[in-house]
Amino acid sequence: MIGFLHPWLLAGLVAAGIPVVLHLLERQQPPTIVFPAVRYLIAATEAHQRRLKLQNWLLLLLRTLLIALLVFAAAGPTARFGGVSGHAPSALVLILDNSASSGAVVNGTPRLAALQAAARQVLHRATPDDALWLITADRTPRRGDPTALGAMVDGVTPSPRRLDLGQALATAGEVLAPETRPGEIVVATDLQATAVTPADPRVPVLVVRPGEPPPRNVGIADIATGTQPWSFDGGRVVVSLTGDSGPPVPVTVRLGDRPGRQALGLAGGSATVALTGAPGGWWPITAELDPDELKADDRRVGAVRIAPVARARWDAAERYVAAAADVLEANRRLARGDEVTVGKLGAGISIVEPPEDPAELGAVNRALERRAVGWTYGALVTGSETTDSGPGLARQRVLKRYVLEPAASGRTGVVARVNRSPWIVRGAGVVVLGSRLDPAWTDLPVSAGFMPFMDFLLNRVARGEVAVIEAAPGDETPLPDRVTEVRRSADRWVVEGGAAFRPAEPGLYFLLSGSDTVGALAVNVDPRESRLAPLPDEQVRKLWRARVTGPDEAAGEVFAAGARGDLRGPILWAGLLIGLAEMGLASAWRRET
Amino acid sequence: MNRVESPAGRARLDLLDPMEVARLGGLELVAEGVVEGFLAGLHRSPRRGFSVEFAEHRMYQPGDDLRYVDWKILGRNDRLYVKQYEEETNLRAVVVADVSRSMAWTGDPELRLPKLAYAQRLIAALTLVLQRQRDATGLIAFDDAVRATLPPRARLTHWRRLLETLGALEAGQGTAAEPALRRVIDQLRRRGLVVFVSDLLFDRELALKALRFLHHRGHQVIVLHVMDPGEVALQGPAEARFEDPETRAAVVLRPKDWAGAYRETVEGVIAAWRLACRRHGIAYHAVRTDTPFGTVLRHVAASRPA
Repeated sequence: MIGFLHPWLLAGLVAAGIPVVLHLLERQQPPTIVFPAVRYLIAATEAHQRRLKLQNWLLLLLRTLLIALLVFAAAGPTARFGGVSGHAPSALVLILDNSASSGAVVNGTPRLAALQAAARQVLHRATPDDALWLITADRTPRRGDPTALGAMVDGVTPSPRRLDLGQALATAGEVLAPETRPGEIVVATDLQATAVTPADPRVPVLVVRPGEPPPRNVGIADIATGTQPWSFDGGRVVVSLTGDSGPPVPVTVRLGDRPGRQALGLAGGSATVALTGAPGGWWPITAELDPDELKADDRRVGAVRIAPVARARWDAAERYVAAAADVLEANRRLARGDEVTVGKLGAGISIVEPPEDPAELGAVNRALERRAVGWTYGALVTGSETTDSGPGLARQRVLKRYVLEPAASGRTGVVARVNRSPWIVRGAGVVVLGSRLDPAWTDLPVSAGFMPFMDFLLNRVARGEVAVIEAAPGDETPLPDRVTEVRRSADRWVVEGGAAFRPAEPGLYFLLSGSDTVGALAVNVDPRESRLAPLPDEQVRKLWRARVTGPDEAAGEVFAAGARGDLRGPILWAGLLIGLAEMGLASAWRRET
Repeated sequence: MNRVESPAGRARLDLLDPMEVARLGGLELVAEGVVEGFLAGLHRSPRRGFSVEFAEHRMYQPGDDLRYVDWKILGRNDRLYVKQYEEETNLRAVVVADVSRSMAWTGDPELRLPKLAYAQRLIAALTLVLQRQRDATGLIAFDDAVRATLPPRARLTHWRRLLETLGALEAGQGTAAEPALRRVIDQLRRRGLVVFVSDLLFDRELALKALRFLHHRGHQVIVLHVMDPGEVALQGPAEARFEDPETRAAVVLRPKDWAGAYRETVEGVIAAWRLACRRHGIAYHAVRTDTPFGTVLRHVAASRPA
């Protein structure tokens, strides 16, 4: 199959009709000359007429063919044929998988080194006429010549990020879509099964994967700290392990800089460690495994808030709220006091429900305005809706709610939404609920999640705290509205509440609102990176319609996707020969006649 | 104009360019001027020339034309004698003139006479030479039919009438030579001279048949093949449609591409006519319209039966 680098130039084939058009134009109404000796002309031409016609048609054919070949050559034809040492100018995207798993060491060498070597061989085959891009774990396509991309490849190190290979192929396909040159994607990867997702890049894909099996690996998948805040008595940390099954491995968990406490755990299972109490405040929690062949997942961070439980006052007439508060009190997650007023607007921190009687709504709104909460009740909305899931609140059905209308100052402090419309908001120490905590308004009071929700609402939302947010390096993470600054050790990022934050490195980031720490962002390697088992080659071939090869064969396989030879040279030579033949025949025949 | 003068110092119109000569005046004036020059150039009796009657032998002298050597006497006596011819005062001659449409053509009106105009002047001069020999001259003009007939007479007034008839001739339609040549038989009851002036653009075999017939009747036949130089060498624009004025037959071609083949064809036609005429004892002369009239007259004068 012949391909073209500049197929739009084939429109020039219209020019191949020029000799025919000129021929026809020339034939149009030549001047008439009265000539008595026409009989001699007829006699002279009779013998040559057939040959002359043949000659004319042959010359016309040669001229048309010459123009067609020139246009054809200009369009940059390429074709696939055997024995081609070079390749036609191509567009190639090299995906170098330097995700966290590429840091795994095999036979004393990081797996990434083998992938880099394969990438360099691929680039070595490239020519200045090729269009080249490099995509690494950050999924940003970088264009360059073979030398520049070679330098980039040399500088690549294992990234803490995960690389979804399906998405990377889609990105590469988008990069190649506008290209007219033959496209090809080379993926140098450890081909771990968790990274392979479906893709249809519509260009040939060559997968270069290491031949050696991956090393055995166990990593930390999650740190669960239970309900927060912790009391001064401390709490329990459940560390989930993932990876290849094997003997139990020791897990060390430490609170801040305190000495760690160890427990044994199995891959696919968990290890639970009880940590003793500590003074109030935000504490980092670190879980670590003994180093193995992949170190990126041997350490994971989290955060815990240690503080006394909220002291609240609630109305015993409110059946569901009172029942939940009693249970929380019995479990030492709540105490009676004046710190938080539940149900109506109090003097201090308050959790306000809309009044049962709509007639009281005006008074409530005026009170909210006086407290400069920034939100008031609007119209009543009835009908079945569902909450958007978020921290501390699973999806719940809402039957009736008031629209929460923001003041002119803005619409910050949204805690939960229904159909993207604010449902629980917080401002000036007041939490405003869009619905009453009653089954006639929402299913929440009769759901299993009601107790944790009340704990979350009383101990954290009412006090202005936000959840500990989990993220992976490089992920775009939306920050709560109240957050104005992100801090990690000595690094500080001033952020705008509600905007997204993209943490580059693993670690614990504290979220600040003014000078108050209101939450934490735990950034850890995606646990899917811990499972190093590769997808079988056959499945990869089927999934991406790709060719799979080892690093040593990569140089020979690349561009063979294309193995397309540039046909411009032969075509131009053919054109030259045809041109010479036309000149020779035309002059010879002219001499003859 | 280059002037060619007679020994007496007068211009030799017979050797001048026909176009220039034609500009001097009418048929009569041109004919008289040409014939005067022609006769002055002969250096011999005007009463010797086209006759076919043998007179006597005399000893060969250096300078004599070898054509007149009597080879039989040389074979018998080993002596060189030349034959001398006596003019015949009552020779009857008929000029058969082609006035078909093709004869009205000239390749360059600025430089060359149309074939018909050239033929008219040539015939006028030729008949004047015959009249000076007191020969009777007649005229038959034809295109696709016989257009004019003038029986042979020897009087000067007849020659003037012949000029009037000749001058009144205009190019007609197609060409049908055979009826005109057969008409000659009616006019020449005994042996005579037939001069056939035409561009020969018709069926050669048919015309040859009639010419042969005349020859067999004992007539001396001379064919003057009048051609414009433009008919000999093909010229024209890059591509043109060439149309026959008589038959309307046409052909579209590039003159440059076909000049060579055309020239070969014309040369072949001339050669074929010459060969066919020679075979049948007919004198043939290809005459281009840029040939001085005197040259043609000399060729005609030199013509002898085979």
